[in-house]
Amino acid sequence: MNTVNRRDFMKRSVGAAAVAVLPYSSVRAANEKIVIGVMGLGGRGTYLAEKFADRPDTEIAYLCDPNTRRFARAREAVEEVQTRKPKLVQDFRKILDDDTVDVLINATPDHWHGLATIMACQAGKDVYVEKPMAHNIWEGRKMVEAARKYKRVVQVGMQSRTAPYAKKAKDYIESGKLGKVHLVRVFNMMQHPKRTARPGAPVPQGFDYDMWCGPAARLPYDPSRYWLNQWEYSCGPIAGDAVHQLDLARFLLNDLPYPKAVSQIGAINDLQDGRDTPDTQLAMFEYEDLTLQMESTLWTPYMKKIPSATRDSDKFPHWPFCSTRVEVLGTEGFMYFGRHGGGWQGYDSNGEIVASQYGRQADKAHQDNFIDCVRTRKRANADVEIGHQSVLLCHMANISYRVGNQRLVFDPKSESFSHNDKANTFLKREYRAPWVVPEQV
Amino acid sequence: MQHRFWLSLSLLLVFCYCSYGKWLTLNNVKVRQDPTELGGPRISIEYDINEPNLLPSSPAYVFIRYSEDAGQTWHLIPKTALRGNGHDLVSKAGHKEVVWWGTDQTSFSDFVMVDICVRALAMVQVPAGKFARKSLSGAGRDESKTQKPQSDLSLYYTAKYETTLAMYVDYLNEVGGDGMGWNKRMSHIERCGIKQHNNGTYTVEPGREAYPITYVSWYDAAAFLQWCGLRLPTESEWEKAFRGGFYLDGDHTRKTPNPMPERPYPWGEKTPGAGGLWRCNCDTDEDGFAYTAPVGSFSQFNSPYGICDLAGNVGEWTQDWYSTSFHAGLDGFRMVRGGSWMAVPVGCDAVTGATELPLKESSIMGFRGVR
Repeated sequence: MNTVNRRDFMKRSVGAAAVAVLPYSSVRAANEKIVIGVMGLGGRGTYLAEKFADRPDTEIAYLCDPNTRRFARAREAVEEVQTRKPKLVQDFRKILDDDTVDVLINATPDHWHGLATIMACQAGKDVYVEKPMAHNIWEGRKMVEAARKYKRVVQVGMQSRTAPYAKKAKDYIESGKLGKVHLVRVFNMMQHPKRTARPGAPVPQGFDYDMWCGPAARLPYDPSRYWLNQWEYSCGPIAGDAVHQLDLARFLLNDLPYPKAVSQIGAINDLQDGRDTPDTQLAMFEYEDLTLQMESTLWTPYMKKIPSATRDSDKFPHWPFCSTRVEVLGTEGFMYFGRHGGGWQGYDSNGEIVASQYGRQADKAHQDNFIDCVRTRKRANADVEIGHQSVLLCHMANISYRVGNQRLVFDPKSESFSHNDKANTFLKREYRAPWVVPEQV
Repeated sequence: MQHRFWLSLSLLLVFCYCSYGKWLTLNNVKVRQDPTELGGPRISIEYDINEPNLLPSSPAYVFIRYSEDAGQTWHLIPKTALRGNGHDLVSKAGHKEVVWWGTDQTSFSDFVMVDICVRALAMVQVPAGKFARKSLSGAGRDESKTQKPQSDLSLYYTAKYETTLAMYVDYLNEVGGDGMGWNKRMSHIERCGIKQHNNGTYTVEPGREAYPITYVSWYDAAAFLQWCGLRLPTESEWEKAFRGGFYLDGDHTRKTPNPMPERPYPWGEKTPGAGGLWRCNCDTDEDGFAYTAPVGSFSQFNSPYGICDLAGNVGEWTQDWYSTSFHAGLDGFRMVRGGSWMAVPVGCDAVTGATELPLKESSIMGFRGVR
């Protein structure tokens, strides 16, 4: 077993190149529970903590959030379904320091996804990281490098691609029933409010705000959720959700490689509240003989996510007002595909429905896949490279917006934009010491 | 508390009632039917209430329910159908009489046997006026565009205590159980304590009558309060009850300024465990309770109005709801306020809240009613 003191190891590996490669940790016996620490106890982190605590093959050893007010809800959910009492910590490094922990679940805000995942890989933990996987393109590549270097399983929380109905839809497209696919339209149309920034409020007792900011700048504390619309902490509400459908589109088309270029019309058309991030994004990604279009808004209340009554039932959503659909347009046919277990329907050249399948949500299957991969060391369904490629589309659209909706040509080899220095300044963020992603992970 | 009589024969069957679990005690309950020439019976319900602290600022809330089918189904008698000094808010101890001109509200006919239940719980008046609203609606998650945090409220009344197991079991036994309002986690002896019996009835585990109900969804809470004739508080009402208005006697009289209108805790500014003295039931081994505590256990640390356990013990469902785009296909989030026995001490303050989907049932969440 590794004899490097882990605290020393972490000190070296944050902000500087790691000097040691952890030995490949032994895989737990089939009858041993996978031990998990959960970082980030908002709604999603609490949900994941509860779900993994409720499994017979895993248990939660740590619940971590810089805001101690978030402990109770997650702890209650976990203790309802497992006998082990989880430790409550504000500093996730305590999880990484514990050799008995196998897995870090990273359900933090966007700005913490990359560094915490990399540090977990360095510490020999497998990682389940929520989407959008990385805060910027460069960081995503570093996450891939860390996972590969330390031989870690990293699953991204893009569970829809694990759904069996998605696989069937993919098979249907591959069978040629749609002809040649030249256009895919991804929709992500939501309803958000204008938000009022409240910077400068006192930091509540029991909240380590500096830790919450981590790699991002420590802006004046704001008790609202305004940070969702600030580039400092977020990829934007559109990216945070549209990445699911973009990933589905990539999955349906056999994991589309890098696009050649992105064009974008992005704007803040309705929610003019001082936010950084756009409320409208029409992005077009150019491939060899295919255009992938993303159509996203934050001011369209009539566009609905698939209702809960439809998600796990033998029903299809009302497609025209389904806010999370994917449309696949081929030379001979057309397909509606719905996230959240919405199923899919194939149409022929006369507009007749010729194939259909109802869907089911895939959260449980995605978690099963992760735990299976932790034991078998296989690559996960939403492996870190896949996560990087999918969130990269969001970043390309965002960067186009940030440079004035320019068309940007992408160089896959260097993962940068050709002949556009301004755009390339957004490939990587400024990291706040000591929370710096190193060049050499 | 339960009284059965033959409507047409004026035969009174009076049962003894011993209150418990924070229901207020009603003695000498009698029901009498008087024939009239007005096309229906005049039903008189009498009782004595001897609570020593009944005042306009701390009244009892009295509600009456009846059954026409030997207890199979029950109905709340609307306030508008009752007359007298003994229903709704009762602010003075003594003998009370309520008159119910029942035929307007029922399908009574001759020889129908009717059961009557009279119950009372302690309320506290929150006078009209402004207060310091510090929390963000929906903990900053309000995406409905419709919820406006209010800082100037009309007069309202709130239950002095969180709803107890005894109260909730009465409700379960009356609504028939059979899944409605009940889930098996409520049988958890340490975190709740309701036993379900094979005949479909429910009892409280001995000694736990005055503990707060837990594992109730927002819908369960709303249904219980509808059964009483009460409702859940809004977030603003909850917060004003917690720290008081700028004037504790209200903005009409303004004689009693609130010495700490922005207090973070019901008792003031000291944290729950300051000085080694624990002021509410939260996540510590030193407050005397590993799980929930009987309601009113920290009554020396009530809110400025005398309301118990707003900080800690169980988080409390509120009425306000918030949609969020991330769950727009689901039902909107509801707010839970007030920390809990599992919350860190500083999480039992006036502004901390949790957003929960309304079907959530948890051992750290309960509720109280307002009127």
